Parts: sequence; C-alpha cells; structure tokens
Amino acid sequence: MPVPLAADSAPTTFEGATNTVAVLLLLTEFAMLRATLSRSQVRLYAVQSLLVSGLAAIVAADRELPELYALAAVSLALKVIAVPWVITRLLRDAGAEIAGSGAIGAASATLLSLALAGVGFFAVGSLDISSPYLPQAALGLSMSIVLVAFVLMIVRRDVVSQAVGFFSLENGVSLASLVVAAGMPLIIEVAFLFDLLVAVVVFGVLMRVHHHRTSSLSTASLTSLRG
Amino acid sequence: MSAVLPVPLVQVLQPLTVLVAAPGLSGAIAKAEARMQGRRGPRVLQPYYDLAKLFGKESLAPEGASRFFLLAPVIAMTCYLTVPLLIPVLTSFGLPLGYMGDIIGGGFLLSLASFCVAVAAAETGAPYAQLGASRSKTFGAITEPVVLFVVFTVALVTTTDLPYAQAATVRSSADQIIRPAHLLASAALFLVILYETARIPVETHTGTNEFGMIEEARALEHSGPYFALLKWGSACKQLILYTILIDVFLAPWGLASGTSAGPVALAVLALLGKALVLGLVVAVIDNTFAKLRLFKITEFVSAAFLLAVLAVFTLYLGGG
Repeated sequence: MPVPLAADSAPTTFEGATNTVAVLLLLTEFAMLRATLSRSQVRLYAVQSLLVSGLAAIVAADRELPELYALAAVSLALKVIAVPWVITRLLRDAGAEIAGSGAIGAASATLLSLALAGVGFFAVGSLDISSPYLPQAALGLSMSIVLVAFVLMIVRRDVVSQAVGFFSLENGVSLASLVVAAGMPLIIEVAFLFDLLVAVVVFGVLMRVHHHRTSSLSTASLTSLRG
Repeated sequence: MSAVLPVPLVQVLQPLTVLVAAPGLSGAIAKAEARMQGRRGPRVLQPYYDLAKLFGKESLAPEGASRFFLLAPVIAMTCYLTVPLLIPVLTSFGLPLGYMGDIIGGGFLLSLASFCVAVAAAETGAPYAQLGASRSKTFGAITEPVVLFVVFTVALVTTTDLPYAQAATVRSSADQIIRPAHLLASAALFLVILYETARIPVETHTGTNEFGMIEEARALEHSGPYFALLKWGSACKQLILYTILIDVFLAPWGLASGTSAGPVALAVLALLGKALVLGLVVAVIDNTFAKLRLFKITEFVSAAFLLAVLAVFTLYLGGG
C-alpha cells in the first residue's frame, strides 16, 4: 500500500478538482441506493451523467484533447437528456411512484457497499496503473462505482432500480475509460454510448412487458415459477 | 499600532468569547428561523434573559438523586470552557495552553461533558430524562466513528492531529481546499455537528414533544441555576463545534497572528460573523427538511460515515 502523502505534497488543483468530481460520481451512486422514489433515482442518474460529461469536458480543456468535447456533448445529449426522458415517460405510463424496498435496510446497504467500494478502490489502486490524463484515484473510484451499482441491482427488488443501476454502471465504466484511454479514438467511445442505447431499449421493453403482465414494477412476483 | 495584549489575557479571552457570545448565537439562529417561517420570533437577546431568569430561581433535585446530579452541570460547563483553549478561536497559532491537548483531547472533553449530563439524567429516575440520556449515548456511539475518521483525515493530511496544523494547511494554498479529502471530511463533520447540536434532521431544537427529544430531554429534571448552566453549556458547545468547523476546516481566515489588541478584536468579530453565517445555513436546513424518525437517524449517521471513510480512502491512493 502506498504511503499516504504528507502535507507538503498535496495534489494539484487539476487533480483535486477531477478527483472531487469522481468522488461526487460515487456519492450519487450511493444516493441512488438510498433513494425511495423511482423518479428521484432517474434524476440522480441524470446528475451523475452530467458529472461524467463535465469531467470529460474538464479533461478535454486541461489536457488538450478536443475530441473529448464531442464525447462530452454526445454523452450530455444521450445520458443526461434522452435516457432519463425515456425512463420518465415509461414511469408515467406505468403509474408507479415508489421504488421497491431493498432486501436490506438503507444503513446496512450503505455500509455493505462502502466495504465493497473499499475493496474495488484498493484492488485497482494496487495495480499501479498511471495515466497521463487523470489521477490514479479516479480509476479506483470508477471500480467502486461499478461495484456499488451491482449492489444497487442486487438489493433492490424493482425493475426501475435495476435498470438505473445498470445504466449508472455504464457511467462508472465511462469514468474508467476517461482515466485509462481518454485519447482513445472517438468512434469507439461513441460505439459504447450506442451500446447503452440498446440496453435502454431492452430495459424499456422489459419494464413494459413486466408491468403489463404483473401490473407492478416489483420483481417479487418473478420468484415463483408458475404464473 | 495598537497595544500588545499579554498572552494570558488573550488566552482567557478565548473561552470568554465563547461564553459570552454563545447564547447570542442561539438567539440569532432562532430569530432567523422564525423570520423564515414568517413569524416575528423572539428577540436575539432572549437567551440571555432566559438565563438571567433561571439564575434567579430556586433549584430542586429529585428525591434520591445523589450530589452528582447537581455537580454534573458544573463539570459539563468546565469541560466546555476548557475546549476553547485547545482550538484556534482567536489566534492562528497555539497559545501556551493550546498544545495541552489535540483534536482527540478536545473530543474527549466534549464527550466527558455529555457523559456527566447523561449520568445526572439517569440519576433522576424520571422517564424522559433517562430516555434522552440513553438515546444520546446510543447515537453518540455511532457518531463517534465518524469523528474518528475525520481525525484520521486530519492526521493523514498534516501528519499531526493538532487543529492549528490543519488550519495552517488549509490556509497554505487553494490546492489544500479543493482536494476531495478535505471537502469530504468537512461535510462529514458538518453532519456530525447537526447531530451534536440537536438540529433538524435529527431533532427539533425548540420542540416540546418529549418523544422526539434526544439531547434536550436530558435536562428536563434540572431547575434554577443548574438548568441555566446546562442551557448555557449546550449553547457554548454549539459555538465551540461551529468554531472547530469554521476555524479548522472551512474558513480559518481572520484569525490574529499576534497578540496586538487590534487583530484580536478583529478576530472576535470575524469569528462571530463566520459563526452567524454558519448559523444561517443551519437555520435554512432547519426550515427545509423534516425531522427524521428515530430509527432513521442511523441512515443519517451512515451517510456521514460514508463521507468520512471515503475521505480516508482517497488519501490512501494519493489522490485525496
């Protein structure tokens, strides 16, 4: 484990700012875990996506990677506006407000995910991957986001939470790609975004079909095999 | 040039400022809260009148309560007045007694005070006072780890656990302020302060409903001067905690770098101004959120714990 830095070697302003945005990404993920309304989960997802787009723009400005501006714009249009809009419309049609309760309490879920986030953070941190674009801590944080998104999908018993968990997992992956491959050709990054769109369509169909068959968004009725 | 004050005088001025200004801060917050609710609210000086009234009253102790019941408010007040000696209240450097304890020492004194009040409440045999004491100890046990992690953050950043060192680090450059560890630890400490000063979303500060009380209920059996000391003490505790948050973490500017009369007087005014701004923020929070159900308080504390632990995490990878 690396020795913690002493007072004389604080991170630079750029590192501090980007790390703060990355930490905010993780905190929105935790907020989703805690949110009780489906609508507020979707809103939190939009905020998280906005933070990812903002981070891409910051990296583009500071590291002079103009193609990242395009990525930030596309991700803004898709993940901040289009996807939340589609899910909100689906929710309005379904008429369900309250997200399913978690399998464990909010405090226990927070502590569990905190432990998992720590595992991800230190596991990736010890790989010693350094990147010219973003500080190393952001990579650990992206792994934590992915793991907490898994917890969100596992402990919540409703389709919307699971969909939002999956989409926000993609946000964690975006953050990781900003760290290790910010200079990656734009076409690959955009291809990832369109993968997300496919997932949105699939989850949208799933939500509609599930709501049509059980007239609820809860997955509790899926546990019994006979209809 | 203004006259240079003797060091012991400045040292005494630190607890004195807290002692004199604390009820006024409570009054100002109550006034601001009332104005936001469209009420006229009590005078800002009302807490002082309340204290004066209580000091003129007779005091009674419940039957069977030992001498400790009456001693506890005095011990608590002594603890509260010792803490300002340890933290940067007026000066940016440690006065002679400033290094007799670190942040943990200050935390111990604050918990000792709260422990004495809880024991006194348990002495009474009255249900509500005991309820408050038991609740405050229960939730105190889960906020303690949060404070510890905040101290760990300070220790990792400054390699000491002196409040003066942390304040100097924050003053040193903008890099130290924008780093996530600092922001997360400050946010976690703020949440703990909301709990410790009995504010929404944990507790209604001015409520009269005993079932929702935690800190407030402990003093229900005290009366007269002893009750006044407890009320004054909790106002002092509030100002002390605000001072720690402001002068160690958020805005350690405006402190006197010497003991000349001018800068020290300015430091007093700066402290009061900054505490008022923080009080205003707390008043807004008081008016914006609802009180949490008792069993939801763990969720609130777990959020604070999350922030404090993440602060330590980010420091370990060198990115905090």
